[in-house]
Order: sequence, then structure tokens, then C-alpha cells
Amino acid sequence: MNGLQIHKAGIASSVQDSGRVGTLSLGIPPSGAMDRPALMSGQHQLGHRHDEAAIEMAYADFAATLTEAHDVVVTGAPVQLRINQQACRSEGVHHIKAGQTLEVKATHEGIYSYLHLSGGIMTTPQLDSRSTSPREGIGGLDGGFLKDGDIVPLGAPDKSVCASDPQLTIKNPTTVLELRFVAGFQFDDFADEAIRSLLAEEFTVTAKANRMGVMLNGERLHSGIAALYSEATCYGAIQVPPDGNPIILLNDRQTVGGYPKPGAVISSDCLRLAQSRPGQRVRFAACSPEEADRIGWLERHYLETRLRDRH
Amino acid sequence: MDFELGPAGEAAMRLVFTGPPQPALTRALLKIETQANQRFGSTLTDSVIGYTTLTLFFSASALERDRTEAWLREQAEVIALTDDSDPEHSAADVVLPVLYHPSVAPDLEWLADDRSLSIDNVIALHSDATYFAYATGFAPGFCYLGTLPAALRTPRLDTPRAKVPAGAVAIADAQTAVYPCESPGGWRLIGACPEPLFNLGITPPARLSVGATVRFEPINEADFRALGGVIA
Repeated sequence: MNGLQIHKAGIASSVQDSGRVGTLSLGIPPSGAMDRPALMSGQHQLGHRHDEAAIEMAYADFAATLTEAHDVVVTGAPVQLRINQQACRSEGVHHIKAGQTLEVKATHEGIYSYLHLSGGIMTTPQLDSRSTSPREGIGGLDGGFLKDGDIVPLGAPDKSVCASDPQLTIKNPTTVLELRFVAGFQFDDFADEAIRSLLAEEFTVTAKANRMGVMLNGERLHSGIAALYSEATCYGAIQVPPDGNPIILLNDRQTVGGYPKPGAVISSDCLRLAQSRPGQRVRFAACSPEEADRIGWLERHYLETRLRDRH
Repeated sequence: MDFELGPAGEAAMRLVFTGPPQPALTRALLKIETQANQRFGSTLTDSVIGYTTLTLFFSASALERDRTEAWLREQAEVIALTDDSDPEHSAADVVLPVLYHPSVAPDLEWLADDRSLSIDNVIALHSDATYFAYATGFAPGFCYLGTLPAALRTPRLDTPRAKVPAGAVAIADAQTAVYPCESPGGWRLIGACPEPLFNLGITPPARLSVGATVRFEPINEADFRALGGVIA
């Protein structure tokens, strides 16, 4: 079988594409790549016409052997790449021969890196996506994170179509990352003091961060809101549990929740947050829905420009 | 009925009725959801009903904020809670078989003791009622059912169990539910349902959906096993 034999999977590697659409009402989160531009960059460089999946690696520490020859690209958080024990530059498309071994190791920046292989990953899609939702046991390889010894099935590469690197790697600021958010949900019901702290104080990314969400630490936010009826969450929702440490909900979030939320961080800043290591300083900034629309439009336009055919 | 409208992040709109949850309110939300599907077509990618909320999710760049808000406001203003049929006293849409026995229900004896009821009383109270499905979520196929008879209402465990088996019939506050798959959980477990609640191989995958009425039917251990139930 044409496959990727995994020797070392690392702490949280999984098959991800752009995620699921329309499954929230089933209680299934969208999942999908935490860093969408990184996913698109790899698809672009390998000339993938469809939404091929990649292997997402958190703090990459990954080693695998290819049973057949494939072109390979690694995108997202910068890595050290070795092919058959030979260090090579990590950017660009690499041709790997059958039987060669690939090692991917995280550097000091970012969290999520993506391994893309020509021919694509051929796990069976569920609900129209190959993305893994580990908590629900859906998608990917047997619904879970990849393990040492797993073999990921790959498609036969068609003729090699490679494009240049569209340079979409997220560079987070060394100082403070701004999280722009659209106020909503229980914003008006939050205690004034909590809103003042949310808008004025600096927070820090904690180690309690994964595909479900990122917990921040800083001035405790006491919403003063007692019980809530469970309602839909959304990407970027700022969830404030009773301990007062806000959690920004991301791709594998629960689809409903009963904790108060003063708003939701816009998607382009969620990507940056997802790629932030513990200790990253962040600050919230309110942004109107119209401003969020404008930023979204500009970001999409930028991506389209970067990903215009340059084969 | 009073309502509020607002954004749920950059790509969703949220409608909340400010009254307490009730079946007529849920049915109003379902009605608006159906109309929204007709009105917005494929640009509306998803919708989620909570106890008192409807959240409409749009594909990126497809949300026309002002028009959508105006349309939702119009719907919310004209909708009347005319439906006064009482689901708790009508025939159930779904009947779920349940084995109520301490071998599959670690909190059943505790609950009976705590309320000075016999186990048979607890079973009768839980299975005589007809429940209404107010919301889904937490896990695929998980459905929040109400309203639990007052005599059975109980707070969640202080420390959730790391593993609740699939099929566990549970109660918390005024709600009851069946865990569709193994997961952590803080609700009290009083029975086990041998029938699957969620299966991606069938359409629709979830046995219960918002607006459904549900009743629990006590079964014995032989029936439980015959229906595929497993006693650990």
C-alpha cells in the first residue's frame, strides 16, 4: 500500500483539511487545520486542486517513512527538516524517494506545522471531510490523533505541479498580540469591572491550550452572571468560566456551552492566537461587526492574491 | 415576546427570546430556523438552537448584516407563542427502552435513599413523564430533555466522572439525557439505554432532535441484553 509509515507521531498530530461545514447542529465541531493559511500554502505549492488534507503536528516531533515516492512540503510553524538523516532547508517542495525517511522537528516559534504530500491523504472522509475530531472520534485515521506505528494511506501523485511558496507563515509579534473581538452574547450583562479589565488589561497565553481552545491568564474576569441557558458557541468565542480566566474557543470547541461570553475574537486574530506559545502577551480590542467584515474581506483578498496561479 | 438580536462573532447572528425556556418558545425558534433555511439557502451554513436562542451561521463574506438583522427582527416580532399544546401530556415521538438497575446505574440507589423513595418510585417518576427536547450539543447526539419531575431534581456531581459509558441515562437539575457515546460527565446516572443514540451510518445520525418528545420505557435485564445492552 502507498502510505506514510509513522515511527514517531509526536504529542498531537492529526489528519486535517479545511474542516466540516454544517455539522454544528449535530453537536460536531468544524475541526480542520488550526492555521488555515498554512494548509492553503501547502495545497498551493503541490498544485492540489481539491481540498487535500495534511498532517497537522503540534510542536512537531515527527518521523515517518514513505513507501512510494512523493513530493512533500512543510508549512506553518517553522521546523527543522531531515530527509534520510540529512538536514535540509525546510521551505519549498522536496522530492522524497520510496523508502526514504522524513523527520520534522519544531523550532522555537509557533505551534502547528503541516506536512503535505503529493497525491493527498486517502483516509476515508466522514461528513464530507477528512479532518479529525478526536473527542468525537470522527474523521482522520480511526477518529483519533496519530500514533507511533500508524500507516497513513496516500494517493498516487499525479504529474508534479509545483508552485513557489506563497509566504503565508504567521509571524507573531514579540511584544503584544492584539485580539480584536466583536462584542455580543452577554456583553451587556457583564459586570462593568469585568469589561473594563477585558479592554484595559494585558493577558498571557497559558499552557492550557489545544485544538479546543486557548486559556488566558491575567486579571480575573468576574462576569457577575449566574446561570445561563446553554446556547451555541462560535469560533473565537471568549468564554469566561467561574474562575475568571477567559478561554478563546477554537476549531474543536464544544458546539454549545453555558458559560458567559462577552464576544468573539475575529478569525484572523484567532489564527495568530492558535500559533502563539505559552507566555505570549495578548490584549483585547473591541471591533465593530462592520470593521470585522472589512478585515475579513481584506484577508481573503490578500490570500487570493498570494495564491493566484504561479506555477 | 421580548427578544434581543446581535452578532455571534463575525459570521453568525444570534436571536434570543428573553423569557424562560418552554416548548412553545422552542417551536417558535424551530419555525424561524425553517424560514431562515428557505430565505438564505446555502449561504446559511448552519444553525443551532439553544434553550432560548437561535444562532445562524453564514459562510464567510456571505452575511449581509443589515438585511439579515432586519429580516430576523421581522420574524421575531411576528412570531407568536400560539402553540399551547402541552408536550408533557401528549404521546411521545420517541420511546427509549431503559434498564433501571444498580448494575448499570451507579447513582440509582443513592438517589432513592436521598429522596426517601423506593427504587421503583424513582423508576416510575422518571418513566411516567414525557420529556421535551430543548437543545442538542455537548456531544454528538446528546439532547437536553426537560422537565424532570421535581422529586428527582438533583445537582451535578462535584467532580465529574472521567468515563460515563454510552447509553447512560442521566439527570441533572431539571434535565435528563442519554449519553450517546462514552465521555466524561457530571450528571447522575440512573439507568442505561441499549439503543444507539448516534450513528453516522444512518440519516439522520442523531435519534433525538430539538422539538421531539421523548418517553423512557422500563425494561428488564433480559430485554436489555436482547437489545444489545452490555452490563460491565
